[in-house]
Amino acid sequence: MNVLKVPARTIAIFVLPCLILYIGTVFVPILVSFYTAMLDWNGISDAKFVGLANFKILLFDDPNFWMSVKRTIMYAVFSIIEIPFCLLFAILLNRYVRKGNRLVTIYFVPVILSNVILGQLWKTIYNPASMGGMLNGVLIKLGLDSWTHSWLTEPAIAMYAIYFVSLWQYFGYHLLIQFTGVQNIPDEIYEAAKIDGADGFKADRYITFPMVVPIFKISVVLAFIGSLQAFELVMVMTGGGPAHATDTIATHMYNMSFLSQKYGYGSAVATFLVIFCLVITVIINGVFNKIERKVT
Amino acid sequence: MKMPSKTVALLLAGAMAFGLAGCGNSDSSSSGSGASGDSGDKTKITFQNIYPDPTTPTYKMIHQIVDQYEKEHPNIDIELDTLNTDQQKLKLKTQAASKEIPDITIVNPAAQMKPYIDAGLLAPLNDVIDKGGLKDTYQEGLLDYYSKDGKVYALPDGNNIEVGFYNKALFAKAGIAAPPTTFDELLADVKKLKDAGITPIAIGEKDSWTGSFLFMNILLRTNGGPGFLQDVADGKKTFNDPAFVEAVDAFQKLVQAGAFPEGATSIDATAGGNMFRTGQAAMFFIGTWETGANDGSTVGKDVSVFKFPTVNGKGNPDEFMLAPGSAFAVSANSEHLQETKDFLNYFALNLPKVSFELKNAVGLGQKVDGDFKAAGYSPLAIDVLDLFKNVKGGDLSFDNTMNPAVSQVHLSSIQSLFVQQVDPKQIAQEHQAAFEANP
Repeated sequence: MNVLKVPARTIAIFVLPCLILYIGTVFVPILVSFYTAMLDWNGISDAKFVGLANFKILLFDDPNFWMSVKRTIMYAVFSIIEIPFCLLFAILLNRYVRKGNRLVTIYFVPVILSNVILGQLWKTIYNPASMGGMLNGVLIKLGLDSWTHSWLTEPAIAMYAIYFVSLWQYFGYHLLIQFTGVQNIPDEIYEAAKIDGADGFKADRYITFPMVVPIFKISVVLAFIGSLQAFELVMVMTGGGPAHATDTIATHMYNMSFLSQKYGYGSAVATFLVIFCLVITVIINGVFNKIERKVT
Repeated sequence: MKMPSKTVALLLAGAMAFGLAGCGNSDSSSSGSGASGDSGDKTKITFQNIYPDPTTPTYKMIHQIVDQYEKEHPNIDIELDTLNTDQQKLKLKTQAASKEIPDITIVNPAAQMKPYIDAGLLAPLNDVIDKGGLKDTYQEGLLDYYSKDGKVYALPDGNNIEVGFYNKALFAKAGIAAPPTTFDELLADVKKLKDAGITPIAIGEKDSWTGSFLFMNILLRTNGGPGFLQDVADGKKTFNDPAFVEAVDAFQKLVQAGAFPEGATSIDATAGGNMFRTGQAAMFFIGTWETGANDGSTVGKDVSVFKFPTVNGKGNPDEFMLAPGSAFAVSANSEHLQETKDFLNYFALNLPKVSFELKNAVGLGQKVDGDFKAAGYSPLAIDVLDLFKNVKGGDLSFDNTMNPAVSQVHLSSIQSLFVQQVDPKQIAQEHQAAFEANP
């Protein structure tokens, strides 16, 4: 496998600094947090070892946790549903718009803005009309008074209001990834296909889709992992409230560790999140490997 | 079980540092006279504090006293680590996990500072208060909230009570002659204000302690006096007690009457206060620490105060929700323990005088010499001071009485009342379950 014809020792020397850094900042903390998850510890006083008791409460006795898992999964599902639309948009942009990358740059703007700013912005947009909320104001202007809501404070819809902001924000991100993927397909292939009689949508079906599958996978994995860690936006807009109606796994972990001062329990939530992320990543990889083998 | 060496702590601290690096600003206040080069042989004392806003009197107070002390003691360098309240709470918890808290830091009274005392992180300050008659400057009984087993562990910067601020102009507009003295009157006033198109009560319930603080007033009344939470803690009562259920029920009536702004649970505490201070809301139940801010606002001249009304004929209006302030504590592991204690003694002795000059002596924990009226304090400040004279005891806030885990359940439970109607018995049961699960 040593195609570079360099002694293994040299490779080791070059890889080592990164490896140490990676192990030190990623693996060790994960292991430590797994250990902390087995403590009854308030973060200040001495800790007491309680084994798997925290996990037992977490899995069987914490309704807020399972609700937050459900919301987090919904978050991920919505993010993934968005990606095919991004791909479609990218194909259209690439085909019909000259200098499409300028538009892509514009769509990308929300991604570089801080989540805190976006959260505050959308919070004011979602405000009730009595507080000058833009969305409700527009609805009233359109004569749709019955559609107005206090978007962020009605437990039934608050979470959807947050999903929407996240979809809006990351649309440009996934569009950029897909757009680059589509652009990287060599024109010659399309030309050859044209000669064979495959044009327009047919070309997409047999050339674009199969060739962007690896890029598509990257987007799906990023969207999934990103959603599982959803935190800042929720924290800024609702703080997980009203009464846990918008808690995600990450905000639940924060609340438990820092507000309820149950670090051990918070670490148990964190450990769950790590394992969950790993499992999902493996599943996604497996599914896409199958798809790739099928279409190529 | 001992801590798993310092690694955990270090990693935790590292993780937090990312989050905090952007927020904190530590400004050394060493005055320009000394050359920066000789700070090496000076004794450095780190003073973590929560007075970040340069426009406020507390900021001026701390800088004035610190500058003065450094001038008188050239060998001492006081480094201020200035954060806002929430950041400081988080930073201190992280520092405490690695047992490295600053020489002087800020803690909150009673239940909130107990873990720090139990972990042996705070130095007893009995020798500090015995020096220069400092002990006698504190109001009777106040230091008890910061003591354990006869040892005082922190010196409070204030002692406030919760009152109802109201806007006289808006009351007049809604045709209300006087502030309510019973809960039914309060509900009637809420209706009148609502009919006049005015938000009755300002609140920032995204920070869920605000709703709890108001709710606890009702509990103080329905319980016929203070001590409900203490009785629960001592096992004499449970949360299923009729007094608690009645309080939840009354609070729900207030919410259902439309007393609070639409979307209250997405408004943060600062924005909530601003609704009152910009004349959008007519009432504001909050600690007297907001006196200065309300006074200085555009509606300042219309603002007055009233005591929380009786509920269903129960309770004594002269009993208040008490809010002993955040307090200065000294690290037991401080490298310069004696110097730090000397400075804190000086600081606490001068705090009342300097605050009085800065017109910020309302709600101090220490006795103040001086004539407030003659010094130009506002009518509102004088009204508040008059209320203080009538205080006949009361309760501490929920999170100062119960442990953090139970408090969090309580806070979100009360928050839920803002967005949905719940059977009060169910709320009570939620509390009881949390209390039993987190002894």
